[in-house]
Amino acid sequence: MKLLVPIKRVPDPYSKIRLSADAAGIDATGLKYEINPFDEIAVEEALRIGEKLSCEIAVVSIGDAACEEQLRKALAMGAHRAIRVDCNETLDSLGVAKILAKVFEREKPDLVLMGKQAIDDDCNQAGQMLAGMLNLPQATFASAISIVGGIARVTRETDEGQETLELKLPAVVTADLRLNEPRYVALPGIIKARSKPIETLSLSELNVSAECRVRTTSLSAPPPRAAGRKVANVDELLSALRSERGLKL
Amino acid sequence: MNPKAAAALPKGGGFLFACENEPFTPEQFGADERLMADTAFQFAKNEVLPLLDRLDAQEEGLMPGLIKQACELGFGGPDTPEKYGGLGLSKAVATRILEKLSLNGSFSTTIGVHQGVAQLPIVLFGSEEQRMRYLPRITSGEIMPAYALSEPNNGTDALSVASRAALRNGAYRLSGTKMWISNAKWASLFTVFAKVDGERFSAFLVERDSPGLEVSREEHKMGLKGSSTARLILEDAVVPQANLLYLEGEGHRVALNTLNIGRCKIGAMALGQMRSALHAAAKYSKERKQFGRTIASFGLVRQKLAEMAARMFAAESVLYRTVALIDSAFSAREASGDEYDETRKACEEFQIECSLTKVLTTEALAFAVDEALQIHGGYGFTEEFPIARLYRDARVMRIYEGTNEINRLFAFERVMKRGLLDALRDGAPTCPAHEYLILAARNLDASKPLGQELTACMSDLTLLTYAQQSANLRAERMRRENVQFADFGVDAAKQFEASATGWAAARCAEALARMGVKQNVSLSSAGQPRDVADAVLESDGYPL
Ligand SMILES: Cc1cc2nc3c(=O)[nH]c(=O)nc-3n(C[C@H](O)[C@H](O)[C@H](O)COP(=O)(O)OP(=O)(O)OC[C@H]3O[C@@H](n4cnc5c(N)ncnc54)[C@H](O)[C@@H]3O)c2cc1C
Repeated sequence: MKLLVPIKRVPDPYSKIRLSADAAGIDATGLKYEINPFDEIAVEEALRIGEKLSCEIAVVSIGDAACEEQLRKALAMGAHRAIRVDCNETLDSLGVAKILAKVFEREKPDLVLMGKQAIDDDCNQAGQMLAGMLNLPQATFASAISIVGGIARVTRETDEGQETLELKLPAVVTADLRLNEPRYVALPGIIKARSKPIETLSLSELNVSAECRVRTTSLSAPPPRAAGRKVANVDELLSALRSERGLKL
Repeated sequence: MNPKAAAALPKGGGFLFACENEPFTPEQFGADERLMADTAFQFAKNEVLPLLDRLDAQEEGLMPGLIKQACELGFGGPDTPEKYGGLGLSKAVATRILEKLSLNGSFSTTIGVHQGVAQLPIVLFGSEEQRMRYLPRITSGEIMPAYALSEPNNGTDALSVASRAALRNGAYRLSGTKMWISNAKWASLFTVFAKVDGERFSAFLVERDSPGLEVSREEHKMGLKGSSTARLILEDAVVPQANLLYLEGEGHRVALNTLNIGRCKIGAMALGQMRSALHAAAKYSKERKQFGRTIASFGLVRQKLAEMAARMFAAESVLYRTVALIDSAFSAREASGDEYDETRKACEEFQIECSLTKVLTTEALAFAVDEALQIHGGYGFTEEFPIARLYRDARVMRIYEGTNEINRLFAFERVMKRGLLDALRDGAPTCPAHEYLILAARNLDASKPLGQELTACMSDLTLLTYAQQSANLRAERMRRENVQFADFGVDAAKQFEASATGWAAARCAEALARMGVKQNVSLSSAGQPRDVADAVLESDGYPL
């Protein structure tokens, strides 16, 4: 079996994000980058599947050479090989999905396992678009996955409760927060990853172009949170919400 | 190695008259080395920090469990050769890893001893058979080792131990009491130092279940309560002859060379705890309000934050410069030579730097925990905030692995013994503290015994020179390579230069007075540096 896990390089969710001076992007000074946390969960899940079934696990990232740092981390966690699609341009979700579709055609994996969304732009679309484009079954927000005989059983957490789907492979599954807790990257794994291959593909090799139909018109930092205050009881809370916030409660 | 390469290699004490072109700095770590450090940091943060109360209560099995878990991730012997189950990493990377593991004193000491002084005697001086027998089990975390040198009546004066060994019927019999043995409660293997026939100082590998060996109760300590510190009582303990470590009568080499490297491990442990102290201080000063403002807005609080960060920057610069020098000495060992002789040479080459590093890092830590506690006001004096524990735990760092007094004395005595004084006197200053050191050195009458007080003045000048030079070289490199936080590095180095120059002037004045030289020491002011408090507040602690 073969698993393909797309991962995105994003700013460390625990670092402080500031806008650049011209407010056209974020200020990268001193910023640490990480694997998108949901993608790291997807990598972890792939590794766990691989521990039960024999699998080849390939990770793929789209970006410039800098994202090899995140690919190396995934290799250190235990993925077997990595692909970097060389691309310096900004992409929207559809652009990402189109490139991943080409990678899918090349790799022909049995399962694409990816994060439900990236924590930088919070789009939550690429997985769904990818499945749509490839005409594959999809399950989003997975909180449990098991694979038996060419079928993926995926539990999803929805507002109504848990839902379990069965998908015929190949399929696209996106990972939610509660799917697992990624392992520590053990030091021997990091040393081993030094000799694992990272293949670089150009967009022209994949016969696809970088697309972005979405334009960012402005960015602004969230307003600082006003100080809170303590209320004595629920009644006081309700009346404060009614009178100060105009809520109809 | 060819003689040309040997000439190019940095020599111990070289900073006294010049600086190597590009001292190593933490900014030079590669991506996978940073990843290793990050795993260490995440482990300490997620697995160790939530357990501090329980660890300090010495909950059964908790600390050994953590050590086992840490070893499974590869922290059992990062710089031990792969052949023996280690990872074969450089001292520089291993130091970074230990630093990041060291957010808490008790865990830091336990893992630091495991990776360091307790394991090093076997790595450096064990026979191939001894290494194969013990190291894989140590690095994997199956067993814990300990280092047993100190005794109730012989601490600083360690080489005059009272413990005795005698060879009888093909086995050594050891008798004596070892005191302050870290990890004793959990250790299965002790490197014990004793004198054979009361004369030949030697090292022995003593297994815990040896007949005649007893580990007594835990010491009741003021801090580091989660670590184990206990006595070892040997009554005619039986040790197979094959467990003599290195040679009879050569135990001092095992003891001292281990401590040399151990002193850099202490530096890593100190930096890790400093990071915790700065984090606590920055966070608290942003939260606490007085007079309607956060205390972070007051000049005196900002000054403390800035000075802590500046000293940490200098300490960090010194530590990584030193360990990289040791790496260079180790990699220059000649394959053709006697392995042990070559190892010894490598360990000894930078012993001045090692002692200075120990003093500098542990005193920067002492300053940091003290000021961080002060920033907490009365709350700092309670167990409600983490700073009280950090303060208590840090105190021992100036005591063990050679007290800071003995390391100070040793460092300058080595400068004299190695005949570096003349070169120092003739050298050109590389930083302001260096000017004061040269001034004092030129007036020093080396034909007379200096006395401890004067030696300590000279040692402080040496230390400040090494620190100022290292911080400046690093800042300069950060600026030139335009790395992240280069501005912080430049400002921190400037701030350190301003304070260190002041101390150097005072120490120089005292040195001259002690020599009976009548000369005014003037203090050239470098101006008021831009303070780094904002960077510390912004980063919730040490920015790098
Ligand atoms: C928590 C803890 C863990 C430890 N772990 C270990 C361990 O694992 N293995 C081990 O072998 N030891 C260990 N030690 C022992 C430690 O190394 C000694 O405590 C230290 O070397 C000092 O010895 P001492 O306590 O006997 O003090 P002393 O030697 O009695 O010193 C008392 C004071 O006198 C000063 N002094 C002594 N001699 C001189 C001199 N010549 N000139 C100037 N001043 C001097 C000292 O600097 C100090 O201030 C540990 C100690 C502690 C507290």
